[in-house]
Amino acid sequence: MSGIVKNIRALTRHSCYFRAYSVRPLAVTLQKSHTVQQEPVHQQNLLSYTQTRFYSPEIKKTKPSEEEIKERVLKVCASYDKVTADKRLITPHERSYSAKPPLTLKLISERVLLVLQLYDKINPDKLNLKSHFINDLGLDSLDHVEVIMAMEDEFGFEIPDADAERLLTPADIVRYVGDREDVYE
Amino acid sequence: MIIMTSRQQILKLYKTMLRESQKFPSYNFKQYAVRRVHDAFKENRSLTDAKFIENQLKEAYRNLDIIKRQVIIGQLYSTEKLVIENIEKNKK
Repeated sequence: MSGIVKNIRALTRHSCYFRAYSVRPLAVTLQKSHTVQQEPVHQQNLLSYTQTRFYSPEIKKTKPSEEEIKERVLKVCASYDKVTADKRLITPHERSYSAKPPLTLKLISERVLLVLQLYDKINPDKLNLKSHFINDLGLDSLDHVEVIMAMEDEFGFEIPDADAERLLTPADIVRYVGDREDVYE
Repeated sequence: MIIMTSRQQILKLYKTMLRESQKFPSYNFKQYAVRRVHDAFKENRSLTDAKFIENQLKEAYRNLDIIKRQVIIGQLYSTEKLVIENIEKNKK
């Protein structure tokens, strides 16, 4: 506030081009007016319009005294809880990763047969590991694509088309999945 | 595999369209797209006219682009899940 007041006073004294900044650059403006005083001749040539811009004064934070710093450091040290500090420092020795359930050939074949039983175009009575999709179960190539897609969703990996067209019985699929997932028995 | 017979091409297209249709965030669009793709391919199973097949293929590729675009738009402006979908998730 005092900075602005100073500026207005300087403004009324010198009808020059002024810019009032916040507290810190105040010294600059005053110095400018000082230099102008030294050349009174040129003052008349200057345009006698005044332009002021007021910016909000900076909030000056007072630097903390040494006493304050001491107090604050002691407060932080006092609140340093030894119990929690111990827990934090010791790194946990076990790491958790996410993993798929351990696969066996038996489990794979169970899952394959379950998915096929849920497929409504397949007769569950005729379904076993050796039944051919097209010849025995009466599916066509479009249904075969859907079956392969269901297998991809079940086991979570993509089966390329070149491999897919060779998988024509559930037994083939079980063996293929076993090869992909490195399940050997 | 790079040299694809048209049969392989059609099957690959079927799979791609089904995969893209399942990406719809909206339950209604998803079910409609999956069902429509399935029915359309089933309907045109036994076609022999090569020109007609070519036209149908072009139409299918155009629809695949539509599906892809609408999936992205649906994901941009998605709404809450329907009650039916929550039941399906709970059943699983």
